[in-house]
Amino acid sequence: MENGDLGKGTYRRRHLFDRIMTGFIFLAVFVAVLPLVLIVADVVIQGGAELSLDFFTKLPTPVGIAGGGIANAIQGSAILVGLASLIAVPIGVGAGIYFSEWPESRLSAISSFMNDVLAEFPSITIGIFVYIIIVLPTRTFSAVAGAVALSIIMIPIVARTTEESLKIVPVSLREASLALGIPRWKTVLRIVISTGRSGLVTGVLLAIARATGETAPLLFTAFGSGYFFNSLWSPIAALPLTIYTYGTSPYSDWIAKAWGAALVLVGFMLILNLGVKLLIGRRYAGVRAEI
Amino acid sequence: METQEELVRSEMESSESAQPKQVGFTVKVETRDLKAGFGGNMVLKGIDSRIPENRITAVMGPSGCGKTTFIRCLNRLHELTPGATVEGMALLDGEDIYDKTVDPVAIRRRIGMVFQKPNPFPTMSIYNNAVAGLALNGVKDKKVLNRAAEDSLRGAYLWDEVKDKLSASGASLSGGQQQRLCIARALAVQPEVLLMDEPCSALDPTATAKIEELITNLKKDYTIIIVTHNMQQASRVADYTAFFYLGKLIEFDETATLFENPREELTERYITGKFG
Amino acid sequence: MARLIDMGIKELNAILLEMSALSDKAVASSIQAYKEGGKGSEVREMSNRLADLHREVSDLTMEVIARYQPVASDLRFLKSCFEISYGFFRYGRYARDIVDVLDMFGDLSKCDNSAVVATARKTEEMIRMSADAFARRDVELARRILAMDDVVDDSYRKNLKRVIQEKENLKCAISTTLIMRYLERIADHATYIGESVEYIVTGVEPAH
Repeated sequence: MENGDLGKGTYRRRHLFDRIMTGFIFLAVFVAVLPLVLIVADVVIQGGAELSLDFFTKLPTPVGIAGGGIANAIQGSAILVGLASLIAVPIGVGAGIYFSEWPESRLSAISSFMNDVLAEFPSITIGIFVYIIIVLPTRTFSAVAGAVALSIIMIPIVARTTEESLKIVPVSLREASLALGIPRWKTVLRIVISTGRSGLVTGVLLAIARATGETAPLLFTAFGSGYFFNSLWSPIAALPLTIYTYGTSPYSDWIAKAWGAALVLVGFMLILNLGVKLLIGRRYAGVRAEI
Repeated sequence: METQEELVRSEMESSESAQPKQVGFTVKVETRDLKAGFGGNMVLKGIDSRIPENRITAVMGPSGCGKTTFIRCLNRLHELTPGATVEGMALLDGEDIYDKTVDPVAIRRRIGMVFQKPNPFPTMSIYNNAVAGLALNGVKDKKVLNRAAEDSLRGAYLWDEVKDKLSASGASLSGGQQQRLCIARALAVQPEVLLMDEPCSALDPTATAKIEELITNLKKDYTIIIVTHNMQQASRVADYTAFFYLGKLIEFDETATLFENPREELTERYITGKFG
Repeated sequence: MARLIDMGIKELNAILLEMSALSDKAVASSIQAYKEGGKGSEVREMSNRLADLHREVSDLTMEVIARYQPVASDLRFLKSCFEISYGFFRYGRYARDIVDVLDMFGDLSKCDNSAVVATARKTEEMIRMSADAFARRDVELARRILAMDDVVDDSYRKNLKRVIQEKENLKCAISTTLIMRYLERIADHATYIGESVEYIVTGVEPAH
């Protein structure tokens, strides 16, 4: 570069190139976000009209009769996901802790790998599997079967996020705890998990979000129903099932209800994800100072 | 003029101990032929040492000489790394801490450690950090915990700065304050020996000076072993200095003597900077 | 591998070697002036120069210690620098004192100068030994200086006794005594320099 050359010519060219590229990137982002926006807009427009107190509290009415709601589907989803969480969270968190804190064992490495494979499994095959091992022997579709199917889907998610969250906890914190004469199990329970807890909670919430939206496995297990929950061993309604059944029917009022159910489901997902974002944001403030 | 390799080889062959047998102090920690390593790689090649009670002993040497491994063997932290091996004896008040019947957790309550980078527990308040070693080990009595918190924070020269914000997060303090909090946390357990692994290397000179002053004050109640690569720090705070090189203890003497007139040529070469 | 402190050490060594040569010359000139009845005026200049050099060594030593925080042999060298340069500076001062005596007392050709000449020869040898011992860090040589100091001390005392007993010419008696005194002090400083050399090398200050 010569003495006194301020690079004005090259700067203008580079600046222009920069602006063009930025434009392309904004376009790409727009295109990527568009489907989400369109879906949400569509659901809100089509399903918004359905929302009413009745919609949330009443059972569906027979075809042709106006009114009614999807209260049983909301209740059903809550029960299914709740039961599934009861099964999946302890198992998943336990597995995640094992993968993170005892990585040197052979069992740990193999299981961790298998866990990752399971996470990517097509959910319909999980549904068929549970159909074979629970529905057939008990000769009935049931909430239990549905919950088990959902839990199988949830476990890898919880285990993986738990493992990742705990692995982020610095080794120095574990050593500090051990150096104080705190035994290893207590170090894991009180220090490691406590430090990584936001990640754990995030993992559980994400697994819940996933499970709430799963349709295929429930087709073979929970099956769906027009009534409120009455027993663990009988079929049970669920939001995705309602959307599927009503949405593919020829009846316009059922289709309208499907849109309403879809709105409820999407709304639930958005709130859950927002919650996760807020949680991460708040907790990270403390962890960042450590890094 | 001997090359470094020749000097080290003659050091390794010589059977004379680096430390004179007659010592003018009470021995708190002793190692006999302590060997340690990872997998097949030997880091400590047989260390015989006697650490004086209620004194500050500095352990120094170039990178890779085994000084950190040495102190991690003293609180049985080294063996927790996968693949780590330890042989030989380490005695605390004359008893072998590596005996099969000894509980490592109990040892770590008597021999505390402060690390290079300050590591307060980020999800705990200053108060909870200070008493963590007690609370997490089952102490529930509020009075005892309060007492321990104040005593240890005072001992770490931190009380006045934090007494009005004990519930603030441990991570909200400055680097130097965090390290003093870690020292308080270690002191609260009331250990007999305090191991410090380059405690000031991540701190600015003012924070370093505060900690050096506090260590000097602590030695009347604790036996302190401080690993440092900073020779000036060793010469400032330590009563005794041990010089390690390539996994062997080359020389151990009173600091003033070692820095004015070292016995071993290797020591002389290292401290005058004739090799890194 | 050259260290930062080596620059300072090199410079101090150079100054001390210059002082050693200069002080040797100053003493030799003063003795020669005594023997031949000259003025030895150049000795005063040399003495002043040595005073300046000593101050330089003092300042430089402090600077090196403050900046580089030396240890072990470096530290011992720096501690000794000051003492050794003081010794060379004193050589020059006593040489000047001898010349002052010549100035004050004027013609001393009638005095019996045999004792002075003999002692001066020993003293000059000791000066050379101290300079060499420092330059080569030679501990053996340094130790031999101590033995020679006894001889010089002895000569000094012998001369004192003789002066008291023989009641010679006052001018001769006083001038001889003064000059012998200065030579004895020069010899003392030579032994101090020798001791400093031993300390630099062995780290042990020799017992007197």
